[in-house]
Amino acid sequence: MRRISINPITRLEGHGKIDIFLDEHGNVANTYFQVPELRGFEQFCVGRPAEDMPVITNRICGVCPEAHHMASVKALDRLFGVEPTPAAKKIRELFYTAFFVTDHTTHFYALGGPDFILGPDAPPAERNILGVVKKVGIEAGKQVIECRARNHHVIQMLGGRGIHPVAGVPGGWSKAVSAAERAEIETIANQNVEFALFTLKVFDQIVLGNPAYLDLVLSDVYHHRTYSMGTVDEQNRLNFYDGKIRVVDPEGREFLKYDASDYAQHIAERVEPWTYLKFPYLKKIGWKGFVDGAESGVYTATPLSRLNAADRLATPLAQEQFERFYQTLGAKTVNGRYQPVHHRLATHWARLIELLYAAERMQELARDPEITSPEIRKIPQNVAGAGVGCVEAPRGTLTHHYVSDERAILTKVNLVVGTTNNHAAISMSIRRAAEKLIQGFAVVEEGLLNRVEMAFRLYDPCFSCATHALPGAMPLMVNIKSQEGETLKSLRRDG
Amino acid sequence: MSTIIIGIGNPVLSDDSVGIKIEHTLAHALRARPDVETRELWAGGLRLMEALKGHERAIIIDAIVTEGGKPGSVYTLKPTDLQQSRNTCSSHDAGFQEALELGTMLGLNLPPQITIWAIEAGDVETFSENLTRDVERAVPIVVEGVMRQIGMEKQLSASGGEQR
Repeated sequence: MRRISINPITRLEGHGKIDIFLDEHGNVANTYFQVPELRGFEQFCVGRPAEDMPVITNRICGVCPEAHHMASVKALDRLFGVEPTPAAKKIRELFYTAFFVTDHTTHFYALGGPDFILGPDAPPAERNILGVVKKVGIEAGKQVIECRARNHHVIQMLGGRGIHPVAGVPGGWSKAVSAAERAEIETIANQNVEFALFTLKVFDQIVLGNPAYLDLVLSDVYHHRTYSMGTVDEQNRLNFYDGKIRVVDPEGREFLKYDASDYAQHIAERVEPWTYLKFPYLKKIGWKGFVDGAESGVYTATPLSRLNAADRLATPLAQEQFERFYQTLGAKTVNGRYQPVHHRLATHWARLIELLYAAERMQELARDPEITSPEIRKIPQNVAGAGVGCVEAPRGTLTHHYVSDERAILTKVNLVVGTTNNHAAISMSIRRAAEKLIQGFAVVEEGLLNRVEMAFRLYDPCFSCATHALPGAMPLMVNIKSQEGETLKSLRRDG
Repeated sequence: MSTIIIGIGNPVLSDDSVGIKIEHTLAHALRARPDVETRELWAGGLRLMEALKGHERAIIIDAIVTEGGKPGSVYTLKPTDLQQSRNTCSSHDAGFQEALELGTMLGLNLPPQITIWAIEAGDVETFSENLTRDVERAVPIVVEGVMRQIGMEKQLSASGGEQR
């Protein structure tokens, strides 16, 4: 067998290596995607007071501390058996929408967007945020930075700290929203809606307006029919902060809908000898390997899967975009809902629709009179001893599970992070891209290397918390190896 | 000169926290300097570039892992040096150099003078609040170096014993 290695992966957290083994004909026999692991996060937490977790877990990663903070406080609500006040839930969600706006914005302009805005064959040195700004204009670049700044400001105002929030507590939130703050946040939300619409317009012009890019989106290179996961409210509308976890099958039929606390009944984790990272799958279906289809327990938890799992979106402008998305991509309606889209590159578009939804939801919450209520916390009276908290992180469903003794000292900690959900799917997409693009010992050109990278960049994977890893640039190495394991070619790109 | 001192790292990831630990020591020593702002960050790239806005001088302190580097070694670098290095502070969104170019392109007011103090880490893969021994020894060296850089040598000799 021959082997190709890609190491490091640009614009991705941590660092990774892809080994591609070729068969005797020079076609892809197997691909292995590996990331290094950090050690001892669970041990670091066990023995600590449970209430420390929202400020410890948000240190796992500098990219989405807000998501860890939120999953953690929700787990603590359960662990202390206390239901937050309605105002506290709204403040938490408001805080969370600001985070989604900034995170999705950054992904589009700095990470995922360059593949489209500059094209998959542009030289890697241009395929970054600088190239994007050169193409869409300085004014747009300024808007990106302003969007980040105003939402970081909201996160700091509500969360108590700029980067690692501290305001979430079991039973609620530690800081009420003043009338002046509410008014300021409403203005910011309005600007966010404008900005999201502008960004969708950019996507329209550059991607949807270019037949070559649309063909790429619709090509079978990145097509996988799997189950889709997402959090929905009682009307099966997408929600980032709370609700039930819903899984739909590849045809769009509801397969599961469960409370976060039941996750272990529905999700199991597969261990493979060649990587530290586990592969979660649907327990009821079982692990059938890295394969598509209704018979395989592989699922995804991404912006695309969230739209697929929801019947609709709760805000008007985002709902319009949601309909346009499914209609443009040719999805049929069955039982009053769209069938899932399985073209994985459409995840970039789905992310922008989520950006608009987050902005509109922020607007709604900022206008809600209850948001300034001083009733922001219920004081816990008991220790229930266990709690699971789930939120939709930008990169997928995030689960924190804590078990404690009667004094609320932690005895067990388990985290299933957004990216981990997609580990099997990412591996499958890399393999698919490699199979399509490497044939008969064909020389791996730069564009080809980038398309392998595009396969996982669309998932916006962030391995810094999937492996509990550090935020380094992701150097990427691809080794192309023969059947005998001899390295034929090594492609390397520093992060 | 308006100066910002930024310590970058994860406080619970062994030697990755060295930048933050040094920044905390400096924050305490420099509390009487209104022209110096100190700040903790755990994200390079765009976040770091955005934090520099509006200052005339920036001093960035971070852990670094270089090939064959000896843990505890201290390097002073310019932003352009980072392209060749595997610095732990690069982020999810853009490299630091890329972010600086973006800031310049957008006309953000970035400091003309940027110094990076990088400390070779021994362990950045284990969750712990402690530094490894060699890296611990580098802390007073960098504190002293930064104090000198911003004209605080005298205060240093007065309180030098305390920092060690």
